[in-house]
Amino acid sequence: MDITALTSRRFLVPGLITLTVLATLPLYGSLYTVILITTILMYIILAVSWVIFSGPTGYMSLASAAFFGVGIYTAAVLMPNTGQLLPLPVVVAIAGLISGLLAVLVGALTLRLRGIYFAIFTFGLVEIIKQVLLYWEFEVTHTRGRFVVLVDNDTVFYIMLGIFVALMLTVYFIRRSKFGLALQSIGENEEAAAHTGINVTMVKVITFGISAIFMGAAGAIMATRWTYIDPYIAFNPLFSFMPVLMAIFGGMGQLYGPVIGAAIFAYLQETLQTTFPYYYMLIFGIVLVVAILYLPNGIVGLIQKLIQRWRKGGSAEQNANT
Amino acid sequence: MTKKLLFGLITITLVALVAVPLCSSSCVPAPAPAKDSIVIGASRPLSGMNAMIGDAAFGPIMTMWEEEVNAAGGIYVADYGKKLPIEYLIYDDATDVGTMVRLTEKLILEDKVDILFSSCGTAFISAQAPIANKYGYVLLTAEGGATIMRDALYGLPYVFISLPFSDHYQLPVFADMLAAKGAKTAYIVSIADLHGVEYSGVAAIEFARVGIDLIASVSVPETQEDFSIIIKDAKAANPDVFCVFGYPPQVLPCTAESMALGFNPKCFIAGPGANFGFYQFTFIEALGPNCVDGVLCFAAANRATSPEFAELYDDLEAIVSPAMLDWWGHPYYAPLVQIWQEAIEETGTLDQDILRDYIATHHFDTILGDTYFEMSGEGGGGLLVKETHPGEIGQWQNGVVEIVGGGPWSNTVITADFIYPKPPWPTP
Repeated sequence: MDITALTSRRFLVPGLITLTVLATLPLYGSLYTVILITTILMYIILAVSWVIFSGPTGYMSLASAAFFGVGIYTAAVLMPNTGQLLPLPVVVAIAGLISGLLAVLVGALTLRLRGIYFAIFTFGLVEIIKQVLLYWEFEVTHTRGRFVVLVDNDTVFYIMLGIFVALMLTVYFIRRSKFGLALQSIGENEEAAAHTGINVTMVKVITFGISAIFMGAAGAIMATRWTYIDPYIAFNPLFSFMPVLMAIFGGMGQLYGPVIGAAIFAYLQETLQTTFPYYYMLIFGIVLVVAILYLPNGIVGLIQKLIQRWRKGGSAEQNANT
Repeated sequence: MTKKLLFGLITITLVALVAVPLCSSSCVPAPAPAKDSIVIGASRPLSGMNAMIGDAAFGPIMTMWEEEVNAAGGIYVADYGKKLPIEYLIYDDATDVGTMVRLTEKLILEDKVDILFSSCGTAFISAQAPIANKYGYVLLTAEGGATIMRDALYGLPYVFISLPFSDHYQLPVFADMLAAKGAKTAYIVSIADLHGVEYSGVAAIEFARVGIDLIASVSVPETQEDFSIIIKDAKAANPDVFCVFGYPPQVLPCTAESMALGFNPKCFIAGPGANFGFYQFTFIEALGPNCVDGVLCFAAANRATSPEFAELYDDLEAIVSPAMLDWWGHPYYAPLVQIWQEAIEETGTLDQDILRDYIATHHFDTILGDTYFEMSGEGGGGLLVKETHPGEIGQWQNGVVEIVGGGPWSNTVITADFIYPKPPWPTP
């Protein structure tokens, strides 16, 4: 991972421009564009949150759906259509915190597991929470499905954008900090990191928790878009795999990799699904296979290669001229 | 060289994949076309877990209606002064609620469809109803219904529920039928989801009302595949009534295990599942056409109910296999399109508010006879009144589903007597 890439200021201007374009979107974009971008932002948040932890450490987490689902469910409980208990931003914050706490708890218990064991455990977490909730809802509270208050599309969009900005800032500061270096060294060689005095478990658990906060917050705001929530809807295993695919597709070497990956992926999904309802899964699959076979560093790797080639071409021309 | 070519090819493909749809949707502003069709939008499960239900239930009715209307030149809409053919715009939600919600909003906001058709499944219509209502689109729901939805109707003026469900009015009728035959004990197996919890809960209340003891109520996860332990337990408990409140993946193995283990209660009800043609087709090869005789299901009408229903099922069989016939759903999905057609023709508009008020306040003459919705208070949605139901409970007899139970109202058409106790399972 290239830490210095981010510290450079060349991303500041394009970043600010993108942000301005996004922030003013409801003023000129169609209603549906706002909805579509909200969904894309959701996927970006999931993918980047996943990369915060799994990128540098190399621990493959499949718990995204669990943290996302906890956020969804928190909103479903705190904002029923019969009467909202708390204001939306508070609910989003609480959902993030609960997800974060869950991650810290689970992380403290399991981050001693490595490799495939950790991946399987985190995936099991999604199922455990779903089944416990099902049992609780049906046997104890006797509720079946929950309706969530409707929130207008612009509010949902701005909150999602807010979570996204907060996430990007968090990632930026983590990477610049000593903490980020510690994380990096764990990924490179965990024993060596421990020997240099890094509290390996602590660093991993905290990072795991931070990544879950954003997933939970995104889940809470998405619940208001889906309006009807039950445990099967909230804990959909798809949300464990999508962030991983998106991050790989975009390329994990750079921060903007998962952002671009998630954006293209979500956009492709949307257009293929509506343009080719019967073939989109096939096309999607082919795109994915080709990307993994021929773009080992994702879209970002491709872009970097293109830039390199262009520069080389440019300098070769200059040499020829002189 | 090949590598270079490949590399370039990938780049171009990726750029094209992103750019082409982007351009087609935003670069070229769509000119407002002269109205030449009624566009009906729907987010349906073309893939995923619900695809099989969607293809068998509302799907064939949609296809049939399109052929029928367009063969007649379309529906006359006075606002446009001409007949407009109908045209479907169907997206695949892949049996995912989040996708369904997004596609529904796309249909409404971007495609600006004239009419919205229902998604498939109780959880799906539960999520779609508030969305349609928010944008002021009339939603006549198809595959699904639940008490929780009825309660939500008070805030959903644009939503109309058509399909009968647990206490509206299937299980009260069922409990009375059992009481009349002197059933004393019951055993329930239900799937751990909204459907299973609702039906087992309502059944417990209704059974208690008529003095039937509930020996056990077992809840199974949707992933359960082996039902032999449950069937053995039920056999040991020897109940008069055995209920499977699940879907085909639970209903079919429960039936097969009961046959294999010789568990033959006096009454065996299973659904949704036993109300489809494929229930019989699963066992027909090994055991003949009378393979599931005596099994009860939730069903409304069959060919004997009326000549109109006979025609409906004949028409359906012309486009789908008999395994896809549905004796519970089809009698209610067919009237949906009739209601739409009448409402559009009578009001002469595609304006959702006018259509909504028309549907809310009028009685329709459909295949069900006098058909109308009971509105949930001022500014609420509608529920198809129980007096419209021609039947609630069916029973397989001589290889067909007969309607053996219905409510005490004039629309009810009982096509055969309820056989209790059920005959033994056939032996191969």
